[in-house]
Amino acid sequence: MKRRIASILLAGAMVASLTACGNSGGAGQNAGGKTGDGAKANELTVWCWDPAFNIYAMEEAAKVYQKDHPDFKLNVVETPWADVQTKLTTAATSKNLDTLPDILLMQDNAFQKNVISYPDAFKDLTGSGVDFSKFPKAKTAYSVVDGKNYGVPFDNGAAIAAYRTDVLKEAGFTDADFTDITWSKYQSMGEEILAKTGKPLLSCTAGESDLIMIMLQSAGGSLFDQDGNPSMVGNDKLKKVIETYVSLVKSGVLVEVNDWDQYVGTMTNSTVAGTINGCWIMASIQTAEDQSGNWAITNIPKLEGVGDATNYSNNGGSSWAVTAGSKNPELAADFLSKTFAGSVPFYETILPKSGALATYLPAADSKVYGEPQEFFGGKPVYAQITEFASKVPSNNTGVYYYEARDAVATAITHVVSGADIDSEIKTAEDTVKFAMGK
Amino acid sequence: MGNSKKKLSLGQKQSLAGWIFLTPAVILIAIMSFLPMIQALFLSFQTGIGAAMKWTGGTNYVRMFKDPVFVQALKNNFIYLIIQVPIMLISALVLASLLNNKDLRFKGLFRTAIFLPCATSLVSYAVIFRSLFAVDGLVNIVLIKLGILSTGYNFLGHPSSARIVIILALIWRWTGYNMVFYLSGLQNIEYSVYEAAKIDGASPFQSFFRITIPLLKPTILLTAIMSTNGTLQLFDESVNLTNGGPANATITMSHYIYNVSFKYVPNFGYAASMSYLILILVAVLAFIQLKVGDKRD
Repeated sequence: MKRRIASILLAGAMVASLTACGNSGGAGQNAGGKTGDGAKANELTVWCWDPAFNIYAMEEAAKVYQKDHPDFKLNVVETPWADVQTKLTTAATSKNLDTLPDILLMQDNAFQKNVISYPDAFKDLTGSGVDFSKFPKAKTAYSVVDGKNYGVPFDNGAAIAAYRTDVLKEAGFTDADFTDITWSKYQSMGEEILAKTGKPLLSCTAGESDLIMIMLQSAGGSLFDQDGNPSMVGNDKLKKVIETYVSLVKSGVLVEVNDWDQYVGTMTNSTVAGTINGCWIMASIQTAEDQSGNWAITNIPKLEGVGDATNYSNNGGSSWAVTAGSKNPELAADFLSKTFAGSVPFYETILPKSGALATYLPAADSKVYGEPQEFFGGKPVYAQITEFASKVPSNNTGVYYYEARDAVATAITHVVSGADIDSEIKTAEDTVKFAMGK
Repeated sequence: MGNSKKKLSLGQKQSLAGWIFLTPAVILIAIMSFLPMIQALFLSFQTGIGAAMKWTGGTNYVRMFKDPVFVQALKNNFIYLIIQVPIMLISALVLASLLNNKDLRFKGLFRTAIFLPCATSLVSYAVIFRSLFAVDGLVNIVLIKLGILSTGYNFLGHPSSARIVIILALIWRWTGYNMVFYLSGLQNIEYSVYEAAKIDGASPFQSFFRITIPLLKPTILLTAIMSTNGTLQLFDESVNLTNGGPANATITMSHYIYNVSFKYVPNFGYAASMSYLILILVAVLAFIQLKVGDKRD
């Protein structure tokens, strides 16, 4: 009898786990099925990943387009970026391009890599009706390969520094004290705040190089030179960035967490007094509604002792790509050109709720951008960020961007635990050169 | 033709029927499993970015031993293998012989409880371990409350502690699975053998080492080969628990293969050759274990 109960329990547990697997598999197939069936003349399928941000923007864009095209149907499939990349690679390698959606959102940093690796997977949008001159050149440059435009720019990744004004006040500071400052000033004020309130000023994900890349670009630095060769050894800017980062970690002003959820948690649970990231982070900050009015936005600290240092940088940002397997490439291009590349009212709708700051130049003059935002202390933060965006120095991502990022992250982890900076930078450069086959 | 049909004996007819029943499965396995394996073998001798591949001979196989990240991943896999597999198999064996005791009450409950981790999804258990060992996770909170630590220790932020967490997670997940094999093996050992040993004055330790282990040898061999195979192909824990970090200290070969194929500039030829190295390693280790473990002749 006992054994029978045990076996029933076991069988039950196994069935439960099997059905759990079955369910997730089924969901995937459904999504795939929808893309396959999307051959109807007025329907488009889109992959993007953030319900509060780009999915919301896409759905609003569909509403705008439906005003003139009442039959138009848009099918947004929530697909995390890592999955978009995996599915794209699989489809392009196996030449099954019809498993891809009509439009997919691509990280700007991955655009060059994907178009160069799979030139047949994307539709050249040059001359498709999208007016690329309405976007800043630095932004469209991410999606231009051999002079052809492969992407319609979407969001802006201008870097911001966000601070909890209530915590700063407790330690006797205001957000004005943090405007136009240097990293050493930032660290000394951060130490004081840590001593008085027990809260670090900044958190970031260990093993990811977002903050490093923000610092590097703020001084116009890159990990690659103009010809796409790695330039890390002898790169004064990179060395200064690593020194600054390590010093921040050692002082306790910068706390490293292990994953993205913990990182967002440090802000929403009020364990840190601020953050520095691309302006899209505002969507995550605003999920903590109880902190409304207690945040302020300003520019980021700048590096010292290196030329061209500024208080402005960029992190992330993405663009829409039309796939070559699309059954309705003309419709996809027309949809994008009438919304993301042609409608100021559209950007006015999505801005307040999602913080999706446009790279579409005509939208920047809109009145909505100048409206005060209650969550951020009643300041017109979007106008502020648009101004930051115009001052961001440009950089080279290169095709091997992700290899370089990971190599630098490895180097930093070693330096934080006491290794020599110069030899770690040399190792990082060797790793990237190895990946490039040099 | 009619004559030749009649010539089939009963035995031949039966074996023909057997082959007919087997054919669909064989064809499916050949197309779905063996064909891709052969294609991957060809791929492993090619190189190039994305879809543009060209033949390169054996350079991929030379390249991987010059690749510091791959060598690190190989080392990590062997650390997991050498530390985790013996601990797991020994504790599974001990648990199985404890739970095989005839006089133990609530046996079914204990067996189920120890097997249950195995029914959880790989991703979700990895995510749960990640949050348990977070700086503000349960483990740190308990240690702080007990006065052992003053502030939270970043278990996943230090190479050795991150490896220990992965090993702990693996032991938690797979011990019950191996225990079930041992339990079923133990059912085949007559209880009278133990009784006879007891009458002859054997201690429980003696009967464990002299009766249980020798008679369970085929099962131990099976679990050892399966665990070796599983550890060399480890992927979910490295990706979801530590993301390979800190500084590649916990990255596994399969995780690196994934990065080379999907995260970085795709180089499928190189990825395929690394997969083949794993295949060769598994085959060699299984062969050694068979030779060492199987003394039948």
